[in-house]
Amino acid sequence: MAKVQPAIISSGFSEHASKRSDVNMAELVNEAVENCIQMANIDWKDIDFVINGNMPAFEGANMPELWMGDHIAAKNKPMLRVTTGGTTGGSVTIAGYYAVASGLYETVLAIGFEQQSCGDTAIGLASVALGEVTIYPDVGYDFARMRSNLGAGAAIGVASYQAMNYMARSKATEEDLARVVVQNRRNAAKTWWTHLKMPTITIEDVLDTPYISYPLRFGMVCPATDGACAILYTTEEKARQIADIPVYVNGVASVANEPAILAPNMGGAGQVDPCEQLGAMKSAELAYGQAGISFPNKEIDYVEVYSPFPNQELMWVERLGLFEENMAPEAYRNGITAWNGELPVNCSGGVNSTNAIGASAMERPAEAALQIMGKASNQVPKTVHTAMGHGWGGAINFITHVVMSDEPQRKWR
Amino acid sequence: MEVGEEIKMPLPKYIKKEYKRSRTLRGNWYLTSYKYKFNLSRIKPYLKGLKEGYILGLKCRSCNTVSFPPRLICGRCLVKPDQWVKLPETATIATASASYAEDDKDHERPIPVIGVRQDGADTVLMHNMSENVDFNTIYIGMPLKAVWAKERKGSWFDIDHYEPLEDPANELNKEENKK
Amino acid sequence: MEKVGIVGYYQVKPDLDAMMSPPEMIFNAVRGALDSAGLKRKDISTVIGCTNDYYDGKTISNAFKVDAGGAYMKDESKVEFDGAHAALYGVFRILSGNHKLAMIYGYSMPSCFNYEAVRILELDPTFDRTVSLLNSYSAGGMQMRAYMKKFNVSLEDIAKVAVNSIKNAAKNPSALPEAQRSDISVGDVLESEILCSPLRKLMYPILCDGTAAIILAPEKQSLKITDNPVWITGVGNCQDTYYLGERDLSISTSMEIAANKAYKIAGINDPKKEIDIAEIFGHTTCEDLILAEAAGLCEKGNGTSLLDGGPALNPSGGTMSGLTPCVCGLTRIIEAVKQLRGEATGYQISGAKKAVATGQVGFCAQNNILYVLEGGGN
Repeated sequence: MAKVQPAIISSGFSEHASKRSDVNMAELVNEAVENCIQMANIDWKDIDFVINGNMPAFEGANMPELWMGDHIAAKNKPMLRVTTGGTTGGSVTIAGYYAVASGLYETVLAIGFEQQSCGDTAIGLASVALGEVTIYPDVGYDFARMRSNLGAGAAIGVASYQAMNYMARSKATEEDLARVVVQNRRNAAKTWWTHLKMPTITIEDVLDTPYISYPLRFGMVCPATDGACAILYTTEEKARQIADIPVYVNGVASVANEPAILAPNMGGAGQVDPCEQLGAMKSAELAYGQAGISFPNKEIDYVEVYSPFPNQELMWVERLGLFEENMAPEAYRNGITAWNGELPVNCSGGVNSTNAIGASAMERPAEAALQIMGKASNQVPKTVHTAMGHGWGGAINFITHVVMSDEPQRKWR
Repeated sequence: MEVGEEIKMPLPKYIKKEYKRSRTLRGNWYLTSYKYKFNLSRIKPYLKGLKEGYILGLKCRSCNTVSFPPRLICGRCLVKPDQWVKLPETATIATASASYAEDDKDHERPIPVIGVRQDGADTVLMHNMSENVDFNTIYIGMPLKAVWAKERKGSWFDIDHYEPLEDPANELNKEENKK
Repeated sequence: MEKVGIVGYYQVKPDLDAMMSPPEMIFNAVRGALDSAGLKRKDISTVIGCTNDYYDGKTISNAFKVDAGGAYMKDESKVEFDGAHAALYGVFRILSGNHKLAMIYGYSMPSCFNYEAVRILELDPTFDRTVSLLNSYSAGGMQMRAYMKKFNVSLEDIAKVAVNSIKNAAKNPSALPEAQRSDISVGDVLESEILCSPLRKLMYPILCDGTAAIILAPEKQSLKITDNPVWITGVGNCQDTYYLGERDLSISTSMEIAANKAYKIAGINDPKKEIDIAEIFGHTTCEDLILAEAAGLCEKGNGTSLLDGGPALNPSGGTMSGLTPCVCGLTRIIEAVKQLRGEATGYQISGAKKAVATGQVGFCAQNNILYVLEGGGN
């Protein structure tokens, strides 16, 4: 019996800003959905299934798609909700892929959004560990020490641990980190929907800001954004009729690792080296295997990685198989990853310039798909045939990985 | 984290979008209090061991991973580990970062917070170093020794902090790097 | 659609206040399911969990349950609606051909928080939440009034269905002990406390802690694992509009659409005659009847006739045997599986071949999902 090959035919975004006070959640998502449907040139009645996801702690609403149904083309249609913290957008993208690949539904709309201005971001992020730390005072871990030990790194939490380990391994300097920030923010200035647009920023501007938590500075950190993103999937036959260049999704994986820094029931944390990321390496292996890619460096033309902090961008491009260990800073110095380089990375600005938590892991495969279709606002000069989008989140332990191309090459298992 | 809005510092060259505030509805909902449940069957023997001056880890018989402090479920094998082992008092730094005192608004005096990997264990515990350790002298892989608290009461901080030990390996690394 | 087999399951016995921590409870369910099917953790290919951040009291509630759910270094994801929706995502993953074994689990602990208070967050923040008159009781009461008025059903008839469900729960060994009353009568139900007229307390389920896990596999692999798999032959899902005023509360449009799609895939033309067991997840007894009618198991308004003949309605007691949010849909699937395999000791319906199991989420069953299950020789 023939299996079904899913294809992406369009992706849409809403305007992203630090406080979208002119719309409520339903209207914000509607902007992205309208953008997506118009580009695909189909009628909203043709949509068979809707999947939605966001991080619920920030808006104070439990399962908001129950009352948003009319705004997102979901009245009297099937609906599913998928949420996995920071990787929510990526998980929704993968769920859309599986909904079409199962053969049960033909046209599927996947939505990720976040309106962080509705709530308190710091509390939302801190309550990831809330259940685990309530027992500590009972065993003698007083509050002052807890605030100092478990809150090290201030609002950015675990990223500073990853940065220390990565810089010790690869001897990357702060200037390398600042170079990544400059590249991202300048790329964001050319993309229409991003939040922080800084077309003339330099390395000195970034290094001139004080430390949030060694070794990361204020100028290197991502913002908190309101925004939404939508992707439309359909089957291969229908995609050939509707779209000029359908984007076939060939490999998906989302392998989970143990949490870092803190573990359930007060145990020791399992990840000894936070920048080792076994989950990312296994996800990449599974996704490349499904897509039939043997040499990622040579076969992939465009990369979007999830890096709210610049040290993570250097780490991901190594762990996902694109560069040798500790060789990423040199690649950035030589311009290989620039907009006109051999392997462009994050030409939409990346998460460093726009971070709407529920949507950002979906914006990475969405922008990569637009680059293959030739419709991105910061289109790279080389022709893109194969691209990948990646997401990260959870208590450092979640990863999503999506590999797509303009030719179907799915390896049936 | 919003950059460039509340903090006054030189960040020019920033294009900001203007949105009209049309309507907002404030709401505060105190919903309920939550209860959290924990299983302390592995933690109580560990704390008792600390009171008597031993450091105990828990080993999973199927995969030989030792967890310190002890964990309830071994994720690799999906069993509940039950073999206790005695661990030495030495350790190494697995990861490190800095935290700042309440009155240090400009973040100029970093206080080290370290992730400690006890020798013989495969997990990481967040802890502190002795006072007056300069943040710039610590490095990943630095050897440490546990320092007991003056009075041990069977609480989490019966190991009060870790102090650095001499490391001949680091001296060699520094000479290598200079060449 | 190719058949997907259910090859193993496990239910942790429900308890009003379980003395277990969350990872321990999930570990019991997942380990129990693997042992019942004779499989190892290495065989699992993907894990889908169903938890809800607001019901757990922390964000990303599945980040710290990776070890307990058997998902270390495995492809895993999380759904936030109901256990039955997590099973739907598991069915997608199996049918795509990428995975060979899916572990689905659901978990929640109503003893740790106030369920009715947290449900206020499901309401739309602009109107319903500020007015805050809508909750499970008032929604159930309005639905019951609409149903009784449209089809001229009396309160005694609905009370008879409640008595039937509670007596069935008394025969079910995996029901909540406080919900089992074998000596209940129609008079007891009518005289119980009025929650929101005309809804009575004994028509509304008791909330309890619990976990459940099932294992799914493709057709060829299911036959290698067990001689007695239960096949999922059809599934349908639909979501209604949110506002109660825009719907006709005496019927359920979303369940009709979902059921029609499931029956079409499974090739069922006359559900009244072909289905033997119906495990319906309704939030109140009246909702059980409305959903059973919308699923085509009896004529509209004639739900009480299910007590006399036709498909057996909730032989395990349905939600009256204990309601755990996020898990109840999975429990309904497991009860149907037990009946089809002949493992429901004490309340077995003999000769059961085809069954229907449903799940829902939202006020007044806004989002419904229906499975058609077929059993082996029984």
